[in-house]
Amino acid sequence: MSDFISANLPYLLAGISVGGQYALIAIGYTMVYGILRLINFAHGDVFTVAAYLMVYMNATMPLYISLPLTVVITVALGFGVERAAYKPLRSAPRMSIMISAIGVSYLLQNLMWYITGGLAQQYPTLPFISGTVTILGATTKVVTLVTPVLTLLLVVALVMLIHRTKVGLAMRAVSKDFETSRLMGIKINSVISVTFIIGSFLAAIGSMLYFTNYTAVTPTAGAMPGLKAFVAAVFGGIGSIPGAVIGAFIIGISENIIKALGLTTFSDAFTFALLIIVLIFKPSGLFGEAVYEKV
Amino acid sequence: MKTLKIVLAALLVACAVLLLVFSLQARDSLPGILDRMDPQQLADQDTQMKKARDRVDNALLEGDREKTLRSLDRYMEGFREQLTLDSQVQMDLFFFRNGPSMIALALFLLVVAGALVLAAFSRRAKVKKSALYLCLAAAVYAAVYILENTVGGNSMLMTVLKKGAIYALIAVSMNLLNGFTGLFSLGQAGFMLIGAYTYAIFTIETASRNQVYQYYGGGLVQFMLPPLVAIVLAGLAAAFFAFLIGLPVLRLKSDYLAIATLGFAEIIRAVFQYDGLGPITNGSNLLRKFTVFGTALYPFVVAGVCIALIALLIHSTYGRAFKAIRDDEIAAEAMGINLYRHKQMAFVISSFFAGVGGALLAMYQTTVQAAAFTSAMTYEILLIVVIGGMGSISGSVMASFLFVAASEWWLRFLDNKTVIGSFEVPLLRSGFRMVAFSVVIMLVVLFYRQGIMGDKELSLSRIARRLGRRKEGGSHD
Repeated sequence: MSDFISANLPYLLAGISVGGQYALIAIGYTMVYGILRLINFAHGDVFTVAAYLMVYMNATMPLYISLPLTVVITVALGFGVERAAYKPLRSAPRMSIMISAIGVSYLLQNLMWYITGGLAQQYPTLPFISGTVTILGATTKVVTLVTPVLTLLLVVALVMLIHRTKVGLAMRAVSKDFETSRLMGIKINSVISVTFIIGSFLAAIGSMLYFTNYTAVTPTAGAMPGLKAFVAAVFGGIGSIPGAVIGAFIIGISENIIKALGLTTFSDAFTFALLIIVLIFKPSGLFGEAVYEKV
Repeated sequence: MKTLKIVLAALLVACAVLLLVFSLQARDSLPGILDRMDPQQLADQDTQMKKARDRVDNALLEGDREKTLRSLDRYMEGFREQLTLDSQVQMDLFFFRNGPSMIALALFLLVVAGALVLAAFSRRAKVKKSALYLCLAAAVYAAVYILENTVGGNSMLMTVLKKGAIYALIAVSMNLLNGFTGLFSLGQAGFMLIGAYTYAIFTIETASRNQVYQYYGGGLVQFMLPPLVAIVLAGLAAAFFAFLIGLPVLRLKSDYLAIATLGFAEIIRAVFQYDGLGPITNGSNLLRKFTVFGTALYPFVVAGVCIALIALLIHSTYGRAFKAIRDDEIAAEAMGINLYRHKQMAFVISSFFAGVGGALLAMYQTTVQAAAFTSAMTYEILLIVVIGGMGSISGSVMASFLFVAASEWWLRFLDNKTVIGSFEVPLLRSGFRMVAFSVVIMLVVLFYRQGIMGDKELSLSRIARRLGRRKEGGSHD
């Protein structure tokens, strides 16, 4: 029994940890989708930019400056992307905004490639979370334990923000009915900006946790976790924050179970297969509301 | 008007026949020309000259045209004083050098003459219009062939043209789905992958299979198909997968469909790299040594035929049903259009042509690897469609050539360090090309949302009308 645990515990722990990291990205997707009905394809790239910022700034500055600065610049990037690429298209068809998001993703990837020369960079070791611990005979990095706790704390804080503050009320109103809330005097643009700021902030934190585990940063490193986080958001019911978090944990854990079974090639494919299955049987996800089109 | 057309056609035919006669005659007459260039047999006395001339003769015997031309150039340059080049010899030489181009030109003239005759004897506007398009197509093909024979098959221009034609087909197939039917699908790279692999697997030379599938004991498939059959098979394979995946996925709404098809492409990519399928797909290793095309005409003809088929489909009742679905799904359903069936049809047909495009891309690249068919490839094609205009075939075609030319050729200089005088131009280094390129794309997406053509087609009558109007306007001033 103890052999079984020590053989399989690392996979379970890794699953929980990566699930938490997906959750932090997935919240950014689900909030933006809830309000703008937009799949923000650039979110995964914002996540990668955060990793690169950390790599470059950590080389020249002490941690207590580089860490907050990374978060601030990432947030500014998320805000800037929304202002530059999505705001001008607010009255355009939804397909145009989605294409714009794909364009931003393409631009950010090429920009990162240009600046870094396309070589993989080593992510710096962060104190507190890069060390190793041994639990029940399984050795793992501290980040594995920190991630779920930190994720839950952040999610609780976010839910409090959404249910207890004025901005949160505005966000809920906007996601319910865009036009009416504008008529009620809600400043749509600032609500959307706040959404992007929160999303990018969580992506920055998520990137620190994620790249402590997978230390190679390349311009496309964020694409796959980004897509998976989106799948998690859909799985949990898009627009629902607890749904996104639960979906992310389920995907993270099952992905690592697949790896434990020796089918690593299929771990990505499995995520998408899961997505397609969910969409067929329950298109609104675990916690989402079904939407009917009115004539 | 009618007699004028017929006289003109007769003239063109006469020109074409002359050209044909001359170039066919010149094709086998090089030894004769060489003798006439050197009437006193100087080559027999000069060992250097003899050697150069023998090189020409040997190349001719080998049947290697490019080599023959090269050695002929060297021979003529080195011994200009000794050779007698009268006008007859020069003309024969010209036709020998440009034989294939002249034949292409002659065939083009024949097509134009045929179109003129057709236009002269028919009163129907439709026939006249199709005669015009026939001329245009012939002109394009003749131009491609002549270019290939004058600038060389490996030049940058030909590379761009070949890749552009293949991308045009893929972009048009995506436009059928995204622009005409309004289905936001992001699975194109997956279908291209299926097409490319199907083609490659069935056309690897039997003798080389052991080498290609060295880790899988020579592979399972042990026969070879002719390229055209394999191309059709590639399309059918992609269409079959599209049919399967369409069963569940096409019931989804816009963005869910996008993400599900994107996910499907990722699954395909993983499955094709799976070690267990190695005897067929060669695992994550390259497939190579399959049949590739020799001339740029090949992708142009295949892509041209496919695009013409898509254009015909769009102008049929099915095409109108597709557009109705795009404009208003609920209204279309109320009008009696079977939503699911039409969506599935668009999806399957689009995937068929994406598969054919994938096969052509495999031929162009000469090797295939599943890892290259990422979602970034789909995004690139989507951006081509957007730049060309959603819902415009001619727009997609133009945008493909522009996109390929800009990314492979015109913007290359942005990747190189440039020094003007003692001033080093800042920012220019490897990777800047793609940054500049994506900025341009973003500008198009944001401020020029209609793309080059919007949802209109390039039509000669519209251009003619616009030119006519301009002339009229000018005469009023």
